[in-house]
Amino acid sequence: MIDVERADFVSVPVRDLERAAEFYGETLGLQPSRGASERWREFETGNVSLALIPIEMLGRDEFTPNIAPIAIRVPDVAEARVKLEAAGVEFPMETIDSGVCHIAPFYDPDGNALQLHRRYAPFSDGSLPNAD
Amino acid sequence: MQIERVDFVSLPTRDMERAKQFYGQVLGLPSHSYSPYDFETSNVTLELWEPEAQGEPFEPSTNGVALRVPDVEAAVEELRQAGAEIMGVRDSGVCHMGFVKDPDGNVLILHRRYAPFE
Repeated sequence: MIDVERADFVSVPVRDLERAAEFYGETLGLQPSRGASERWREFETGNVSLALIPIEMLGRDEFTPNIAPIAIRVPDVAEARVKLEAAGVEFPMETIDSGVCHIAPFYDPDGNALQLHRRYAPFSDGSLPNAD
Repeated sequence: MQIERVDFVSLPTRDMERAKQFYGQVLGLPSHSYSPYDFETSNVTLELWEPEAQGEPFEPSTNGVALRVPDVEAAVEELRQAGAEIMGVRDSGVCHMGFVKDPDGNVLILHRRYAPFE
């Protein structure tokens, strides 16, 4: 097996780099990574960065958004949802209570799947969520 | 708007057992007994997800999670030996990147930055 040390970044495919940078930087309020530049737009979330990859860098003609969600931990899903809705972000469904967490799916301007996420129940081994 | 961290990055699969074998045995990522579909890197969880079981269409992830490895070339070779599809290796000028696909076609990037930050 290979020796994976950590996840350095998660790529987010985008069609319009400036529009996406405004969304992740201003609407979501993420800070640029230290390695970020005009060409390489990368934002910190707290544990792993999100790197915006423009379609020309992907080497593909056809753009396909990512439909597998990235779960973003917020202190309070309902509160964060209200703030994003006020900023014009649309949520396609009601917030889900899975029985262990709250989930509010939404999309970035390119249609990449994101979700506001907060686990409130302990794990089955008794450990508490959100302690890291 | 306060974001604390990314809890998990979803990776879609059509064959949970095959995917678990890949992430657990080939990549060697640990998982928890109470959460067998979650695989841990040291800083973020990769969560295997069967969209078709929930009536949603399957589409491989283009997310390209970049996994830091000590030696990209060696890791690419190891995954090639394990039967993974290798898309290519690139030197960006600041890092080495090996683009590979998991058994479901999800893109992974074996990654190592070698240049100092500015």
